[in-house]
Amino acid sequence: MDFANLSAQLNAGAILPEGIVIITLLVTLVWDLIVGRSSTKVTPYVAIVGLLIATGTLFLQWDTTEPISFLGSFNGDAISLIFRGIIAISAAVTIPISIRYVEQSGTSLAEFITILLTATVGGMFLSGADELVMIFVSLETLSISSYLLTGYMKRDPRSNEAALKYLLIGAASSAIFLYGISLLYGLSGGETRLSAITASIISNGLDESLGLVIALVFVIAGIAFKIAAVPFHQWTPDVYEGSPTPVVAFLSVGSKAAGFALAVRLLVSAFPLVSDQWRFVLTALAILSMVLGNVVALAQTSMKRLLAYSSIAQAGFLMIGLIVGTDAGYSSMVFYLMIYLFMNLGGFACVILFTLRTGTDEINEYSGLYQKDPLLTLALSICLLSLGGIPPLAGFFGKIYLFWAGWQAGAYGLVLIGLITSVISIYYYIRVVKTMVVKEPQEMSEAVANYPEIQWNLTGMRPLQVSIVVALVFTSLAGVLANPLFNLATGSVSKTPMLQATEPMTPVVSQAPEQLPMPTVESVDL
Amino acid sequence: MLSLLIWVPIIGAGVIAFAPGEVSGARARLGAIGVSGFLIGLSALLLFQFDLGNPEMQFQEYIPWIESLGLNYQLGVDGLSLLLLSLNSLLILISILSSKIDIERPRLFFSLILLIAGGVAGAFVAQNLLLFFLFYELELIPFYLLVSIWGGSRRSYAATKFLIYTAVSGACILLAFLGLVWFSEASTFAYDTLMGQMLPLGLQFVLLALMLVGFGIKIPLVPFHTWLPDTYVEASTPVAILLGGILAKLGTYGIFRFGLGLFPEAWSNLSPYLAIWAAISIMYGAMAAIAQKDIKRMVAYSSIGHMGYILLGGAALTSLSVIGSISQMVAHGLILAVLFNLVGVVEAKVGTRELDVLNGLMNPLRGLPATSSLLVMGAMASAGIPGLVGFIAEFMIFQGSYERFPIQTLLAVVGTGLTAVYFVILLNRTCFGKLDNSTSYYPEVTFGEQVPALILATLIIFLGLQPTWLVRWIEPTGTAMVAAVSTESAAQVATLSVPVVE
Amino acid sequence: MNLAEGVQIVSLGVLAFLMLATSLGVVLLDNIVYSAFLLGGVFISISGLYILLNAGFVAAAQILIYVGAVNVLILFGIMLVNKRQDFTPVRNAWLGKAATAIVCFGLFALLSTMVLATAWPISSGPIAGDAALVEIGKHFFSDYLLPFELASVLLLMALIGAIVLARREFLPEEMVDSTDEVLTLPERRRELTSTPRQ
Repeated sequence: MDFANLSAQLNAGAILPEGIVIITLLVTLVWDLIVGRSSTKVTPYVAIVGLLIATGTLFLQWDTTEPISFLGSFNGDAISLIFRGIIAISAAVTIPISIRYVEQSGTSLAEFITILLTATVGGMFLSGADELVMIFVSLETLSISSYLLTGYMKRDPRSNEAALKYLLIGAASSAIFLYGISLLYGLSGGETRLSAITASIISNGLDESLGLVIALVFVIAGIAFKIAAVPFHQWTPDVYEGSPTPVVAFLSVGSKAAGFALAVRLLVSAFPLVSDQWRFVLTALAILSMVLGNVVALAQTSMKRLLAYSSIAQAGFLMIGLIVGTDAGYSSMVFYLMIYLFMNLGGFACVILFTLRTGTDEINEYSGLYQKDPLLTLALSICLLSLGGIPPLAGFFGKIYLFWAGWQAGAYGLVLIGLITSVISIYYYIRVVKTMVVKEPQEMSEAVANYPEIQWNLTGMRPLQVSIVVALVFTSLAGVLANPLFNLATGSVSKTPMLQATEPMTPVVSQAPEQLPMPTVESVDL
Repeated sequence: MLSLLIWVPIIGAGVIAFAPGEVSGARARLGAIGVSGFLIGLSALLLFQFDLGNPEMQFQEYIPWIESLGLNYQLGVDGLSLLLLSLNSLLILISILSSKIDIERPRLFFSLILLIAGGVAGAFVAQNLLLFFLFYELELIPFYLLVSIWGGSRRSYAATKFLIYTAVSGACILLAFLGLVWFSEASTFAYDTLMGQMLPLGLQFVLLALMLVGFGIKIPLVPFHTWLPDTYVEASTPVAILLGGILAKLGTYGIFRFGLGLFPEAWSNLSPYLAIWAAISIMYGAMAAIAQKDIKRMVAYSSIGHMGYILLGGAALTSLSVIGSISQMVAHGLILAVLFNLVGVVEAKVGTRELDVLNGLMNPLRGLPATSSLLVMGAMASAGIPGLVGFIAEFMIFQGSYERFPIQTLLAVVGTGLTAVYFVILLNRTCFGKLDNSTSYYPEVTFGEQVPALILATLIIFLGLQPTWLVRWIEPTGTAMVAAVSTESAAQVATLSVPVVE
Repeated sequence: MNLAEGVQIVSLGVLAFLMLATSLGVVLLDNIVYSAFLLGGVFISISGLYILLNAGFVAAAQILIYVGAVNVLILFGIMLVNKRQDFTPVRNAWLGKAATAIVCFGLFALLSTMVLATAWPISSGPIAGDAALVEIGKHFFSDYLLPFELASVLLLMALIGAIVLARREFLPEEMVDSTDEVLTLPERRRELTSTPRQ
């Protein structure tokens, strides 16, 4: 059997983007081995180029007709393409913002990038994994790389603490998740392919068994840990506070996107029998996340903790799209993730820049920043306001789309809570903006008063500047010029057979007045 | 054409904020004046090109935008929008002129004001509910910053209060819009499509109530008004002019356009209660104003009362009262702006706003004679003295609403009487009386500081003497609005025989 | 019941007893070294169960990996840390313990109900026995090829990560240049020997 034949049989082309990332990873590693420490001038850019090429190949696969590859292990359908793109781009944005940070902390950059790229590979495989073993291996690839990244600043006790916490809680949640999928394996009589599990469970007559519900609960526990949904969020603030900020940026976007990809695929294709139950559980998680995330964020004094709680809350908003389960719901979730990618990474890039210049991330220390660094003030304000959903920034359109999709599917309660909590969220986002912009010169904090002169020509500062500007431009304009992204999001859902096969479910939470005829949920021209 | 009104100020704001190099405050101010002068010219052009006989939307523009959300860039004006649009252009100029010459951080200040100009213009001309909401929310951050950076000593508190109230108002309105669109099974937020919705009456009540709460916060109507005195008082003069003159109008505009325009049946069923609400607002505003010791706060409370007239006119639903209400929006915008401007001048020159301290400003030598005579004129206009624009508007409202709601109207007339009371108190204490001999000469009021008040005073007197110049633009729109309500509610009652709540 | 079955049942009982006893020991004993050794006992008992189930390869792998690698690593960890610290007894600790016990028993009850109530489908195929090795190999190179290959990436990265975490950090002199005064990080201020925050 020659190679071409084998590759055709396996449809190995579907994992070309991951292959490119792996090759990039190896090149980075080997180059660093050969050249030594001076490799840092090249490796980050090699990695970025590799990730962008991978994203480009994802685009080329948009119209693929043969998504299944590796005998059912991997499914490169449209929705996986879009999630893999989001993860790859989030890594590609994380690298430029981390160059200076890693250099400054005196740790080596090439290994950092290698581990980050491995995490990216794990996340990308997870988005397309269509089989239980594959799901678990890629999940662990992502998780273990994340633990390593979290503890990368090993001379910093906070980073160690964060890594240990993340490792312990993560391992526990992985174990629970593994227990859940092992139950699934048992119930389906030894089936590991997601698409075959349901049919197998039905043929075994176990479609109403207690085991299935327990498997579901355990699996959701694992997923909720990844996406940091309340009550599986306890690790988030501590880990976000302690880990290196670029890692947090990646965790909050790339890792979260991978979690949502996993949630969509696993819940939709393996648990259609208990879809009411999982919608119910996720509704509870979403409400808790939105309420708790937004309310606790009000009391934070550290910028990183604030962003941690905000990311919990954002996960709650995103879950609305998953719960309603209509085409519009899924595509609004994808759309919001695409926007969230840039606004959140932009926010973190600004926090990194500020930390680099002042050595602190307390919110109070941002007082009066506008006088010393207008660009940073503007970029951070725009990103935070966008996270809060202020028009005409991108986040507003993302939220409107989510609420619109939720409302359309009759999840009035969720939309109502989403609206109320996003009003709350405006308050704490604007608190930071106010600290930066409103404070008088005499109220300036010590850190800002001693603000160093802005030097963009230091190693690694230029990429940071570029990524801040890119995030700023994208966040300001993506909402107004949203059509291409909308088409991408809706296209990814309508092209995915898995999501088309399931019919929209009746809403779990609805507050529709009784006398009203429930509007029928039709796949409107969205 | 309409797009120019939105985008020229926004681009101007961008240029002022981000122009490279050092830009002096005077140049930023000059640029802002230039932009707002252009806006006034454009509005004047619109006023003259407007087809008076046509109650439909004019100067329509349409660009498809995000169609999957039902959001399109759809603009148009009728009489209601047109006048408010012109008021907006005028007050932006007035507000820029009444800013201090040496204001701190001028670039940010003027760019925020221009941003507001563009946003408000957008909200007035938007013919798509979501587009309206977008522009409506666009105001939030600039106003928050304007109050919290350039305000008085308690500005931080006031700005936060304003932010919270306004954000809640935005959420209510968005909820009402979403509900309206989804329950009427439309796939778009376009205003004209939603006009023809036939929702069950109960649902209409719920949505209308949400909208009334949302816009009621913005206007503000009585239980939702508590942010107003703080914000108006803490805001600097130009910002207070914008808040009272324009932002509040956004609320009344919203109630008329979306409340009355989209839910005519529910509106006409609720109108007696709305009229009672209006009367309470009027009485409360007037009483509270009487109790004030601070002249700016007094003017702020007077605004609550005057907003009540607008609601009363809308509730009465006769074509005369609706036209009166729309005139009152314009009149109130002009009068409030002149009052805030003059209070600002007095504060700057005398150094206090305390009613107990101020005295004898009429003194021709050592006082502020020109300012205080203008203040007398403004107070008279606000109290509804004939010959000034306030009288015309209030008279039309009372005339129109008396036939439907005599008791509420009488209460409102009493409210007008109380308005006269507190303005007499104000004038008596500040302008008349004997200027304390120990007080030295107040600084001279320069011509530049006098200009905004003079422009406004001219307009107030002119429109008071020549009300047709105000009413001619509104008449077709107002009549059409009322006609639409009566036919629709008649049809509703006839076809569905819904028990009318009375 | 013939002799073979009798032997099986007896060994199952012995193994199960061993497993439960050792695992209770792991949790309840105060001395962490005992716990670690008892953990080895748990693993060996489990591998005995695998042998009873005719899965020789899995049993061998279990001993090799869990006892030979994981457990030894844990022991190394304990020996290397070698820090004796007296724990101050927590007041009202029994409350926490009781709550944990209730939760654990509840979970146990739930899971055992589930296990007993479910009619698990049992594979009707022939028992692979010692041919399992071949079967597993075939799976690795057919339908589980992708996870198998991905695991190699995972291992590579784990290797790198382990080296990064374990190697002695040195700060090249050329790094400490003037840029330090311009930019700072909180990480920088702590020295290698710093004690963790209390």
